[in-house]
Amino acid sequence: MKTFLDNLRTKSAGGIIILFVSIQVIAILGGLLFPDNFRYLLPANIAVLLKSMAPLGIMAIGVGILMITGEFDLSVGILYSFCAIVTATMVKEYNLSPYLAMLIGILVGITAGLIHGNIVNKFTIPSFIVTLGAMLLWKGGTLLYHGSKSLRYKYESESYEILLKGDIGVVDASFIWFILVGIIFYFILHHHKIGNHFYAVGGNSEAATAIGINPKRVKLIAFAIAGGCAALSGVVAMSRVGSVQPAGGLGLELEAIAACVIGGCALMGGRGSIIGIMLGTALIYTIQDLLLLLRAPGFYFDMFVGGLIVLAAITNVALRKRL
Amino acid sequence: MNQINLYEAKNITKKYGNLIALDDVNFHIAPNEVVGLLGDNGAGKSTLIKMMSGVVEPNKGNIFVDGNEIKIKNRKESEEIAGIETIYQNSALCDDMTIMRNIFMGREITNYFGFMNFKKMDEISTEVLTTGIEIAGIDSPSKEIGALSGGQKQAVAIARAVYFKRKILLLDEPTSALSVRETEKVLSYVTDLKKENVSSVIVTHNLYHAFQVCDRFVVMSHGKVVFEKNKQDTNIEEVTAQVIKV
Repeated sequence: MKTFLDNLRTKSAGGIIILFVSIQVIAILGGLLFPDNFRYLLPANIAVLLKSMAPLGIMAIGVGILMITGEFDLSVGILYSFCAIVTATMVKEYNLSPYLAMLIGILVGITAGLIHGNIVNKFTIPSFIVTLGAMLLWKGGTLLYHGSKSLRYKYESESYEILLKGDIGVVDASFIWFILVGIIFYFILHHHKIGNHFYAVGGNSEAATAIGINPKRVKLIAFAIAGGCAALSGVVAMSRVGSVQPAGGLGLELEAIAACVIGGCALMGGRGSIIGIMLGTALIYTIQDLLLLLRAPGFYFDMFVGGLIVLAAITNVALRKRL
Repeated sequence: MNQINLYEAKNITKKYGNLIALDDVNFHIAPNEVVGLLGDNGAGKSTLIKMMSGVVEPNKGNIFVDGNEIKIKNRKESEEIAGIETIYQNSALCDDMTIMRNIFMGREITNYFGFMNFKKMDEISTEVLTTGIEIAGIDSPSKEIGALSGGQKQAVAIARAVYFKRKILLLDEPTSALSVRETEKVLSYVTDLKKENVSSVIVTHNLYHAFQVCDRFVVMSHGKVVFEKNKQDTNIEEVTAQVIKV
């Protein structure tokens, strides 16, 4: 038992696993004890919960990998909207296949990430500043490209309906995308050598350089992943909802950073895990769901998530220092 | 001495804008020796170390490895051609990563697609930790570097260099963050390295440490080499006087 706890303690996802499991246990117990007043275990509730977390989750995985590498991208929120709009326009105006359009949307996201990364590398400016500027730039660009109207997106195709809008029981297609992205990046981050380089560059850039790793190249890849994930999350969300708001993604970048911090990513890089990021996202939405079920007013959500971020950061530090 | 030097830099000049960091510097490393690179702050020691490790490119001068002239453009080339590894004062390790991941940082054992072979890396790490340079108090390669003491960290970095068959180790103030006992340990590793046929260059402010392990002393001042003598031909007072002379 001691080694199990010790193991949990030293893993960056240790804190979030403990927190997540405890909250689930309480919620499930509540659902079992008061099935009529607290409908946590109702299939409809579980379905809504799973459905809601995918867009932020996919984005947070990219943001988290970039954070582990020691950088930020504040423009992922607006890229989420911009790339979705690009995808929808490709289908509506140019009659492209939705899959090809989706690929183009993701490529736009990756390109944006590469541009941000290149500027950060070339001028050695903090990525926080570069992407703060980029966020405003893309925001204006989105309005310039599309205007401020919301864009309806409907594509009638059997395979598309299944792949992006279908569900298996309570599990929505978007949630499956989230899990898929999680699995892919789990193997990249934890089992591929580039993953090792992400940690090395974020943890000690000088050491990485001394050993022959090129931090600029590694950071560039991380920026591309963050941009690509942001684009994919936008397309997945748009496909499910059937429309996209030009400013709909604004603010998501901070929520994604919140999910990463709650999930045990170090703000300065070098620490974090895919499982932590995914559970961090899940926890944010679980809390939102619990508050809705308890009929708490909307602003309680922000208060709770705010508290949670600080609590998670404290837990992570405390766990590492030994309680 | 007629033996061929492992590494030789001739007439090296490095400028940063108007600042001359290295001014016509000659420096060599012979097989099986420990060189003490000394001098006050800003003397050019760190620039010289960076130049040798391939991080900084000189404006002028020639570099010879095993007697053959070569060009070193980056860190990788310095590692592969000259067999040079650098250990910085904060050690070239990541605190948040395990010992195993640190040992294989940048040199991961992977399959064709770049996925890491943890089993093999774990086996080798265990071997690195238990043979060659002996490191007290480390039992498992899955321990995080952050949990080790400063001396243990340096030891891991040195063991890593030995395992990857480096010929020259550059130690940039390796003991400045260590306790007295740990310093003794790290210095003894450096002496042990000679048995493994690894030469080293130590940059340090502590002349007593330098005298403990070095075979030859090179003192720099304002980007120039101002003094160079073998240990048997000099004494600590003379070297000290050279370092503090403006």
